[in-house]
Amino acid sequence: MASDSGFPSFNDGPSSPDDSISTPIDNTFSSPAGSSRASGRGRDGRRRRRRSTTPTAFLTPRANQSRFATSSETPNTTPSRSNRRSNGQRHATSPSSTDDVPLSSSEAGDDMDEATPTFVWGTNISVQDVKSAIQMFLKHFREKEELLSRSESEIYKEGKYMRAINRVLEIEGEWIDVDANDVFDYDSDLYNKMVRYPLEVLAIFDIVLMDIVSLINPLFEKHVQVRIYNLKSSTAMRNLNPSDIEKMVSLKGMVIRCSSIIPEIREAIFRCLVCGYYSDPIVVDRGRINEPSTCLKQECLAKNSMTLVHNRCRFADKQIVRLQETPDDIPDGGTPHTVSLLMHDKLVDAGKPGDRVEVTGIYRAMSVRVGPTQRTVKSLFKTYIDCLHIKKADKSRMLVEDAMEIDNSHPRIEDEIQFDESKIQQLKELSKQPNIYETLTRSLAPNIWELDDVKKGLLCQLFGGNALKLPSGASFRGDINILLVGDPGTSKSQLLQYIHKLSPRGIYTSGKGSSAVGLTAYVTKDPETGETVLESGALVLSDRGICCIDEFDKMSESARSMLHEVMEQQTVSIAKAGIIASLNARTSVLACANPSGSRYNPRLSVIENIHLPPTLLSRFDLIYLILDKADEQTDRRLAKHIVSLHFENPESSEQGVLDLATLTAYVSYARKHIHPKLSDEAAEELTRGYVEMRRRGNFPGSSKKVITATPRQIESLIRLSEALARIRLSELVEKHDVEEAFRLLEVAMQQSATDHSTGTIDMDLITTGVSASERMRRENMVSSTRNIIMEKMQLGGPSMRLLEVH
Amino acid sequence: MIWRENILLHIKLAATASASLNSQSERKERESEMVGPKYDCLANPLGAVRLTFEKAIASGADPASFDGKDWGAVDLFRQFLFEDGALSHVPILNPTTIKWVQPNTLVRFRGMIQDMLGNEFYAGAYKDGSVWRTNKFMDVCQYPMGSSPDMRIWERRLLYCIPVPGQNSWTESLSEVAMNKTSQQREKRQRMEDDASNHMDLVLVDEFESSPSVKKMRENGHASPSSQSKDSVIEGTSNTNFVTNAERNSLPCLVKIYDCPESELKLNEVFEFVGVLTLDSDVMADKDDQDESSYGFIEDELVHLPPEKVPRLHCLIHRKLDVNDFLHSSPMMEPKPRLVKETRESLLRHLTSILGNDGIAAHLMLLHLLSRVHARIDNVAVGKLSLNLTCLSKESVSVFGNQVRLSVQNLLPFTQCIPLTVNYLNTASLAPKKDYQTNRLIPGVLQLADGSHLIIDETQLETGTLNSTGVENARLLKNLMEFQKVEYNFEYYKMEMIADVQMLILSEGKSNIVPADLVIPFQPSSAASFEVVPAETLEAWRWYLASVRSLPHSIESDMQKVVESDLVAARQADRSLGGQDLSRLLTMGRLMSASFGETSLSLEHWQMVKELERLRRERLK
Repeated sequence: MASDSGFPSFNDGPSSPDDSISTPIDNTFSSPAGSSRASGRGRDGRRRRRRSTTPTAFLTPRANQSRFATSSETPNTTPSRSNRRSNGQRHATSPSSTDDVPLSSSEAGDDMDEATPTFVWGTNISVQDVKSAIQMFLKHFREKEELLSRSESEIYKEGKYMRAINRVLEIEGEWIDVDANDVFDYDSDLYNKMVRYPLEVLAIFDIVLMDIVSLINPLFEKHVQVRIYNLKSSTAMRNLNPSDIEKMVSLKGMVIRCSSIIPEIREAIFRCLVCGYYSDPIVVDRGRINEPSTCLKQECLAKNSMTLVHNRCRFADKQIVRLQETPDDIPDGGTPHTVSLLMHDKLVDAGKPGDRVEVTGIYRAMSVRVGPTQRTVKSLFKTYIDCLHIKKADKSRMLVEDAMEIDNSHPRIEDEIQFDESKIQQLKELSKQPNIYETLTRSLAPNIWELDDVKKGLLCQLFGGNALKLPSGASFRGDINILLVGDPGTSKSQLLQYIHKLSPRGIYTSGKGSSAVGLTAYVTKDPETGETVLESGALVLSDRGICCIDEFDKMSESARSMLHEVMEQQTVSIAKAGIIASLNARTSVLACANPSGSRYNPRLSVIENIHLPPTLLSRFDLIYLILDKADEQTDRRLAKHIVSLHFENPESSEQGVLDLATLTAYVSYARKHIHPKLSDEAAEELTRGYVEMRRRGNFPGSSKKVITATPRQIESLIRLSEALARIRLSELVEKHDVEEAFRLLEVAMQQSATDHSTGTIDMDLITTGVSASERMRRENMVSSTRNIIMEKMQLGGPSMRLLEVH
Repeated sequence: MIWRENILLHIKLAATASASLNSQSERKERESEMVGPKYDCLANPLGAVRLTFEKAIASGADPASFDGKDWGAVDLFRQFLFEDGALSHVPILNPTTIKWVQPNTLVRFRGMIQDMLGNEFYAGAYKDGSVWRTNKFMDVCQYPMGSSPDMRIWERRLLYCIPVPGQNSWTESLSEVAMNKTSQQREKRQRMEDDASNHMDLVLVDEFESSPSVKKMRENGHASPSSQSKDSVIEGTSNTNFVTNAERNSLPCLVKIYDCPESELKLNEVFEFVGVLTLDSDVMADKDDQDESSYGFIEDELVHLPPEKVPRLHCLIHRKLDVNDFLHSSPMMEPKPRLVKETRESLLRHLTSILGNDGIAAHLMLLHLLSRVHARIDNVAVGKLSLNLTCLSKESVSVFGNQVRLSVQNLLPFTQCIPLTVNYLNTASLAPKKDYQTNRLIPGVLQLADGSHLIIDETQLETGTLNSTGVENARLLKNLMEFQKVEYNFEYYKMEMIADVQMLILSEGKSNIVPADLVIPFQPSSAASFEVVPAETLEAWRWYLASVRSLPHSIESDMQKVVESDLVAARQADRSLGGQDLSRLLTMGRLMSASFGETSLSLEHWQMVKELERLRRERLK
């Protein structure tokens, strides 16, 4: 067991207490590294003189206890469960109260240990082996990076968990968290044993921990427990089955109910009503406290005189929590399963209803008795999970958290374990495909036919650009806003629904039913406390997500004006009812609208058709006009599509398409981990293209001055090209990304900003609603009218004529 | 205190009686094994289970290998029920039969899975001394379960089933037939009483100690062959005590399913469960359980389902029910083309006369009644065809609306009707909602079995203000109409469940709350004629609707080209035609050819659809 690597730290095991107040004797005892176990025992013996209850003393009773453990599949589960539980807790708190317990018994127990190896009942797992394995793990485990990067001299530094133990001692904590993955990496055999026989192994774990703790700081009084988390595999709640009983499991779910905190008695003290004698603390035995029937004092011995002294008893917190499956784990046509969790001590109130959590614990079954009076046991078992560790993990939200912000450089360690290696590898493989852009486009709403460019735009929106926050305080949004304007029946709403389903945190609302406050935020009085509270609206709720607004044109004017701030500053400011607040609303807006006359009128300008204020329009990065062209080709495709929908096997209709789950994973991974930067080439291309766009206004042959593009456009272009790089999972924005961004912008703009009289892109149309040529025409009109009028006036005709001209 | 002693005495007597009964019945089983029929599956299914188990053990099988598997018991019952045709002898559990059906006998229950209560672990096999016993298909161990280490924990699923919402009365009359047959066997069953039922009697004594039934119960305890006829009466009365508490008209049932893949049984599906009925007071004792407080964390949802209200059924065999299974004379004739056509004609005539000689409406109604969702692609439910009859005023709806409702009720097994008013929208709970206090799914109006028919009567709707519930309800209806999905409210999130509901809307103008696929202004030319339809005809129509509806469908490639070019032409002619309209035309084509009992679209039927559509559009103008 003692491997080579173990040696150096055998020496530093005892060396660490040097900083604390330990005696030098310890060093002399343990420095001969050869017989570490023997010296350990010696230490234990010494230590016991100072602290009466060393956890080792419990090794023997525990091993005996484990006899019940595996047989707990018998109806006796209840007693043995509580028994073990109580044991676990007993040494947690006993030091304060059992100082005067004689030592002889524990010494004897120790001796017995050494004579015959103790096995976990029903297996060939030796308690001693497990113990030393745990010792090795705690003392010597180092993280991989640590092992690689540290130089020779630093190898003597303490391992991860020794540091953790020291920290716990400093802050007087009560537990250390142990990553099960670390256990697996260090000693997979130990890991397997731990998962298979958690009750026994964890008890030994605690004992070893206490040994180490008392080595470092003999005066440390609290009991330190070990909490395992992050098992290699997590079980789906509905897959828990009888074979999981008494094993360590890890579950994801949502807390739906918490009971009130239940004080559970651990130790009871009785007092004799006759003579006033206080009994010794009586610990819970098999879930019960045995009330002494006679006074224990020799002189008294009064019968039935003992009464419980409540305020001298010890209680522990207990809570029952109900966990429910998260919606994504539920198969079609099923309802969510639930499971009860038993929380103790510090875990109480760790989760609140509505929290998504990942729980590590031991799955237990308990038989049900028919009634208190009947000795018959029902054949049923109640199951629950004895909770060891609880981790709040909101997966869907976590993935987008901080995805768009570069400045947040402190990712919490616990959040990092979202994608396992194989998944990342798979996604990376995917990104290497040359036609990944096309594949993704095709996978997006595969049943909505055509509209490839619109889908590409939506894809960019899903991936998003990089948000920038300059030190000066100026910030640039990374979210891409898209407006779809189109004829009825061009599956705009379906696209919206699809994006809503796909986007990590999205809100779908219909413009008709949305009010300004419903979109942003509103102030209400809490019915219970009477405090004014801020309730978030759709835009705030979809922070870092996509807010889909259907029927944008039918939205009230006031509601739409609220969007101005959201779409550029990405905040919602509120100043009412004594609350002045600015809430983050870093959301992409995907809106869709019908043209003003419900069908696109080609005779009217785009602006007149869209009928939205230009200020709002300019905030959309891409505006797509989805027109229903009377084109036989597209009609035929539509007809084919619908016929195949009805008559063919829908599964085989599309080839080479990613499924929704992969697509979502891909998007979330890209949003979280990829933060592309502009390459020099791309930046150059951007400048060139932008200048080109600006110049296009001064077309040779046309004298009219048209502003073709605004600075807003260049921001849009940057965002789009960043998103395009992200699609390839590339950290660098390359030239072709920029070119594609230009193309997308042009495809969108050509349709929406085409001046119908000239056919060129005209941003004036977007910004002012009047195209340059229109302005020219109006001017011409005005001047010619004036000329006619002047003519008529000169002729001196009757004023009636004037009206005719008009 | 005397009564207490009495009861004690009685308990002792009952215990000895049960012991003797038990040994008696066992002896009988052994005897019968040698002579005559081997097992009495009907009256003593648990005995059959036990014997097959013992047999399997005796043949050297390891009980550990039975986990999640059958050792021959289910096969035995399958043979008994289906091959020997005994299924019709098994009484159907309903509020009437529950009064006299014996616990621990074979019953069947037809219902919809309304909620799933998760898995339950039980001691599946255990050693009683040196003999292996099993607890499968029962709640309480029949033999003392020692603390022997040789115990296998198995699992079973709990399904909460209710009678199918909106189930029409014609589907039920079948059970009466079966009842008469089974009553002949009651005598035998009486003798075969198990100790488990006696055990229940013990509890009964506790409960009704002061009631006169105790006396009778006592007699029951001394069950002697001579008092059999009397016994059955007593059993009846004592059971009525239970039922008085229960809702009389609807009897839910907690079905315990063994060894069945999860995907086989889905929410809202209609099943027939054949299994062992238990009325055991399993949770009853828990009420005053002192230990309850210490283990209170496992809040048993079953506490809210007392066995006297919700009988338990340990399912041996389940099968999904088709509409055909509700027909009396099933299985009926093969779908012969001529027969189908005749039935179609007569049904169409019937519909026309009900709809006041409005032929187009009747045609559309027929297609509507045949529709079902046969595929789902993303959000699109292909195959649905909801119908909106407009131009119905408050007055005319009382005539025609009722006629339509009645005839639909007579034709389809599950029908519901929602009178849509502002008040209704504001107060009704349409969507099912999860109640975390009881950990149950509270059913909503829209939790319907697949293939249900829903009439929404919008003529009563007047102007008013909708509150948030109203808006939500209107949205639910719209979603159901458009996507055939219902959002179930799980408080912390909502979950969409797919549905397949035929929706018929009666309104004055085109309904905007629930926009239907097909809108047809209703133009009756005569008053609705009420005719008495002979039962056989009704039966034929039901059979026609059920069997034609489930026909597969395909399209020939040249026909596909015709359809495609027709669609293109239609779209070229009218730009307002969207994808949805084209899709609807295809659905109609499919249903039209199905209504003739054909499995592929023919040109003739396609022309009919086009003509129908033309007439409909003309009327819309």
